[in-house]
Amino acid sequence: MKPRRLDAERLELGGGLEVLLQATLAGLRVGELVDVAVASRAAALELPGWAQLNGHEVVDRRPRGRSGQIVRLRRGPGERVLAQVPVAERSAPPLRRDGEFHTADLRGPADPPETMPREAGFVPVGATAEQGAPAFDWRLHERVAIWAPEVAHLGEQASASQWDASRDVPWEAARGLPEHLERAVAQVMTFIAQNEYAALYVPAGFLPQMHPSYVELVMWLSSHVYDEARHVEVFTKRSLIGGYRGYALASTELSLHSLLAEHDFTAASLLLNVLGEGTFLDLLRFVHRHAPDAATAAAARLAHRDERRHVHFGISHVRHALSDDPRQRATLVRAAEQRAAKLTEMSLSPLLIEGLTIMAAGSLVPAALSEGADAVRALMRRMERNRIRRLRSAGFDANEARYISDLHTPNLM
Amino acid sequence: MSSPPQTTVAAVAYHPRVVTIWESFCEYFRDEGCPTDYVLYSSYERLAQAVLEQTADIGWNTNTAFVALDRKLGEETRILGMRDLDAKFATVIVTRHGEAFDTPSQLAGRRLALGSRDSGHAAILPLYYLREQGLDARSACPLLRFDTDLGKHGDTGDSELRVVRAVAEGAADAGALADATWARFRSEGLAATGGLEVAWRSPTYYHCNFTALSSFDDERAARWQACLLAMSYDDPRMRPAMTLEGVRRWLIGDRSGYASLFAALEQERPTV
Repeated sequence: MKPRRLDAERLELGGGLEVLLQATLAGLRVGELVDVAVASRAAALELPGWAQLNGHEVVDRRPRGRSGQIVRLRRGPGERVLAQVPVAERSAPPLRRDGEFHTADLRGPADPPETMPREAGFVPVGATAEQGAPAFDWRLHERVAIWAPEVAHLGEQASASQWDASRDVPWEAARGLPEHLERAVAQVMTFIAQNEYAALYVPAGFLPQMHPSYVELVMWLSSHVYDEARHVEVFTKRSLIGGYRGYALASTELSLHSLLAEHDFTAASLLLNVLGEGTFLDLLRFVHRHAPDAATAAAARLAHRDERRHVHFGISHVRHALSDDPRQRATLVRAAEQRAAKLTEMSLSPLLIEGLTIMAAGSLVPAALSEGADAVRALMRRMERNRIRRLRSAGFDANEARYISDLHTPNLM
Repeated sequence: MSSPPQTTVAAVAYHPRVVTIWESFCEYFRDEGCPTDYVLYSSYERLAQAVLEQTADIGWNTNTAFVALDRKLGEETRILGMRDLDAKFATVIVTRHGEAFDTPSQLAGRRLALGSRDSGHAAILPLYYLREQGLDARSACPLLRFDTDLGKHGDTGDSELRVVRAVAEGAADAGALADATWARFRSEGLAATGGLEVAWRSPTYYHCNFTALSSFDDERAARWQACLLAMSYDDPRMRPAMTLEGVRRWLIGDRSGYASLFAALEQERPTV
C-alpha cells in the first residue's frame, strides 16, 4: 500500500506536530505508513524518539528540497484508549424550542439504566470508560432505590431559583423590634437554622454514596445541599441581626440526631423530605404570614420556595419506590417507628410554642396573645392534616398515613 | 503438589512509582503461575551485588549496570528480556535554535553538558559515539557534568532536565540526553525546550534488560520469560504499570545492542 502523505510544514514537537501526528495516525491501520514532510533536519531528528514513546516506528528518513526532510512512520499496534465499547456514532440530544438544553433531555429518549456496576467511576453520561481505572464501590447503584420521575425537572428548577442570603433579604428592616418580639423571633430563627443543618447533612451524606451515572440524582442532591446551606445562612443571620440570641435546644438535637441515624435512602427521604420538610412548609408559611419585619418574611418566603421542591422530590420518590415494591411499605413504617422509639419528648418545646405565639400576637397584650395562641393551635392542626395528605400522595393508605403522622417527631423535623 | 519456587527480581528505587510498578508486575506473575517477588535497592551497584550473591535471581539492569556485571563475570550472564523501548534507544544532542552543527567536529571548543557520569545514554555513550565520529569531546570540549543521580544511572531523568536547562540558559552550548526523554520533555511542553533543537542523533543501542546469572535454572528462566513476554499492553490491569515502566511490549532481548557500551567502558573506564 502506498504511504499516506502529510505535510507538517514548519511544525515541530511540542509546537503542534505531535497533535497532527496523533490525529493522522488515529486514522491509519496497524502497519500502515505515512510520509511526514517536515521543514528541518532538527524536526526530523526528534521524531524517532517520539514514535518510540507512542508505540510507532520511524522506518526511513530522507532529505526533501534544500533543508526539509521526509520521515516515514509506521503505525504501531494497540489503541491509545482501552475501552470495551467504542464511542457510538454521532448523536446529539434534543434542544427545547427556545434553544434550552434541559437535564431531562440529557439521555435523549433513553431511560436511565435500572442498575449500574458498583465499581464504575466518574463517567459522564454518554462517555466511554477507559479500562484499567480503579474500582469504586457505590452503595446507591440501583435506580429504584433513588429515583423520582421528576428529578431532572426539579434539579432544573433548583438551578433557576437560586438566591442570595446576603443581598436578597432587606436586613435593615429587622433592626429595632421591641425586645420581647425580637427575643421570640431569635428563638424561632435559631430553631429553624438548627433544623436546616440536618436537612443539609442528610442529603450530603448520601451524595458520596450515589452512583455518578445517575447524574440527575447527583445534581439534585447537590442542589438540595446548596439550598439548605442558604437556609442555614439566612436563618442564622436573621437570628443574629436583632441583637438577641436563641437557644439550640437539646430536644431538637435529639430529634435531628435520630434523623441522621437513618441510612436507607428511601426511609431518609420519607423522614426528611416528606415528613420533616413537609411539616416545615406549614411552619415557614406561618412565619411568613406573622413575620414582624420584612427580613423575616423574605427569609421564610425564599426558604419555603426551596422546601417545596424538596418535599415534591420526597413524595415522588417514595411513591415510585412503593409502586415498584409494595414490601417497602413495611420497611418505611418500621423506619418511622424506630425513630419514634428514640424520641422522648412529648411535644414541641414550650420555648418554640411561646416564640411562635408572640410572633403571631405581635405583642404581649393579652387579647393579642389569645389570638396568637389560636393561630399556633391552628398551625399544629394544619401541620397534621397536611402531613397525612402528603403521606397519602406518597402512596400510603389512610390508616398508614395517620399512623406514620402520629409517629412523627414533635420537633417538626 | 508443591507450588513453583518464587523468583526474586531486584530493581532500583529511582522513584516511588517503582513500588507501584513492581506490586502490579508481581501480582501479574503470581496470577500467571510464576510467583515473583521484588527487592529494591538504592543503586545499581547494590543491585548487581545482590545478583552476584544470589540474593536476587534476576536484576532489572540499566545498560551500564548490565555491562559492568557482565564484564565482571566474563560475559557469562544471561538476558531474559527487555522493553521494546530498550531495543531502539538513542541519544540526541540539543543546541539553541540556529546553533546546530552538521558534523560532530564542529562541536569542538563548545561547552557540552552531560548527565550523570554513570548514565549510558546521557554521558558515556554520547562521548563514545562522538569519538567514533571524529570528536574526542573529553579533550576538545569543556564538559559540564550533572552528576545528580549517581548510582541510578540516569533513571531519574533529573540530570537530563539539568542538561536541557543548562543549554537553554546559556551555561552550555550543547547537551546530551536520551531521545525518548527529549521527546517526552517536548510533548509535555517543558518550557526550557522551546528555544532548542536537535542537532545530532546517535546510532541506536540497547538500554535496560533483565539479567540473570548463567547458573539460574533453565526451566525457571524459561517460564519467567514466557510470562514476561505474555504481558500485554492491551490488558487493562497491566496498562498503568506498563505505562509507568515505559514498555508496550516485552522483547526476548540479546547482547547485540550492547557492543558500543562494552567498547565505551573498555576505552573510558569510568567509575561505575
